[in-house]
Amino acid sequence: MNKTITAEAQIASNIVSAKISARKVNVFYGDTHAIKDVSIEILDRSVTAFIGPSGCGKSTFLRCLNRMNDTIDICRVEGTIELDGHDIYDASVDPVQLRARVGMVFQKPNPFPKSIYDNIAYGPKIHGLAQSKADLDGIVESALRRAALWEEVKDRLAAPGTGLSGGQQQRLCIARAIATAPEVLLMDEPCSALDPIATAQVEELIDELRKSYSVVIVTHSMQQAARVSQKTAFFHLGLMLEYDDTSKIFTNPDHEKTQAYITGRFG
Amino acid sequence: MKEHIVSSFDEELQKITARISEMGGLAEEELSMALEAVRLRDGALARKVIESDDRLDMMDARLEHDAIQMLALRQPVASDLREIVAALKVSSTLERIGDLAKNIAKRTQVLNEGQPLRVTGSILRMGKLTQTLFAEVLDAYTSRNTSMAVSVWKRDVEVDEMYNSIFRELTTYMMEDPRVISLCSQLLFVAKNLERIGDHATFISEMTYYVVEGEQLGDDRPKGDPLAAFIED
Repeated sequence: MNKTITAEAQIASNIVSAKISARKVNVFYGDTHAIKDVSIEILDRSVTAFIGPSGCGKSTFLRCLNRMNDTIDICRVEGTIELDGHDIYDASVDPVQLRARVGMVFQKPNPFPKSIYDNIAYGPKIHGLAQSKADLDGIVESALRRAALWEEVKDRLAAPGTGLSGGQQQRLCIARAIATAPEVLLMDEPCSALDPIATAQVEELIDELRKSYSVVIVTHSMQQAARVSQKTAFFHLGLMLEYDDTSKIFTNPDHEKTQAYITGRFG
Repeated sequence: MKEHIVSSFDEELQKITARISEMGGLAEEELSMALEAVRLRDGALARKVIESDDRLDMMDARLEHDAIQMLALRQPVASDLREIVAALKVSSTLERIGDLAKNIAKRTQVLNEGQPLRVTGSILRMGKLTQTLFAEVLDAYTSRNTSMAVSVWKRDVEVDEMYNSIFRELTTYMMEDPRVISLCSQLLFVAKNLERIGDHATFISEMTYYVVEGEQLGDDRPKGDPLAAFIED
């Protein structure tokens, strides 16, 4: 009997372990109302996919989660977004520190024009995560290993990151993002510039990362959302119309628009 | 539902739906001919059933091929996925119904060699009911009518009960007159085949429900007790 209660409590605590909790988020670009009343609980140690047609607001919303929209002057964010229960838009929060906790990977691989080593070492250095050169070497190696790139680059760490292939560059950017030991990883169409093999490698990596991070991925590939995520949110015209288990969304979605979009009947 | 942006996808789906209707029609016809062959003791008609079943088998194989192609090439999801998976399963169910009708036809040929039996009347009544349920479920599947599908699903118990009473009737005859054992056991198989066809019809009900609702119908279908015939006396 006791055992059952403990198991239930454990399940319950897993259910409520929201890493990011957004409530009634509205985003404006000048007069344009880009995100309308979006509320979502993003779970820890799982992959959440944002899908929806171009211009639906999924990337805009993703960028709110680590305050990347701060860099756009005319952009205004309303509502609350909490990371572990703390409002990330609070005046006391340093956006740079926030982005070390909530890392980001972009559509096109954008390595720094520096060596492979320096690409990874840059973040840990500026955030003071390494006490010594040996420390830093350790961080670089472990980030590259976790990004499944170590074996391919360990003999040429001093070579420029821009000299790698597209798929390797993207994994380098993922390694760079995880080098600062973030808790959340945001990915904005991380595979759209990659070939199927590199895509599969990144997807394998996402699955691996899920064990320690909360991953949020924006993707135009429905199959990719279905393959990598546990939860899927469907955005349309700035609204989040449906958010549910990925298996539910792709077999029996509740919303007619979701159904139309994922089966290719939109318009 | 709205059409796909890629219209060839719709055409393929429509083709699959049309094939299922055609196969349903063919299976219905086989069953009706087989029952006529029993009623009229018509060997030629029975042979016709046996021959036409090949076509149903071929159509099932072709539908399976097309459905697998669609799964591989279109990667369907949600209602499209359910539609194709259901078509695959319904197609093989129809193929099996055809096999059972063919089996009834085969047994007719043996039955025709002996004297006419009185019990044939109850079997034909059971056949009528099975035909009705089968026709209704095909309608329900084609028109995506879940309430009609559920009604068939519930009424299959009547077929089960008729089967049990025929079983009792035949056992009694066989005990009274061992000379009819050979013929009666053929009839028993005919009844059993009809009972199986009823079960397959309920499966098509379940598939109809799944296509529309995205959920299983459940497993608490009313069933006739298969052991009732033994427990009696």
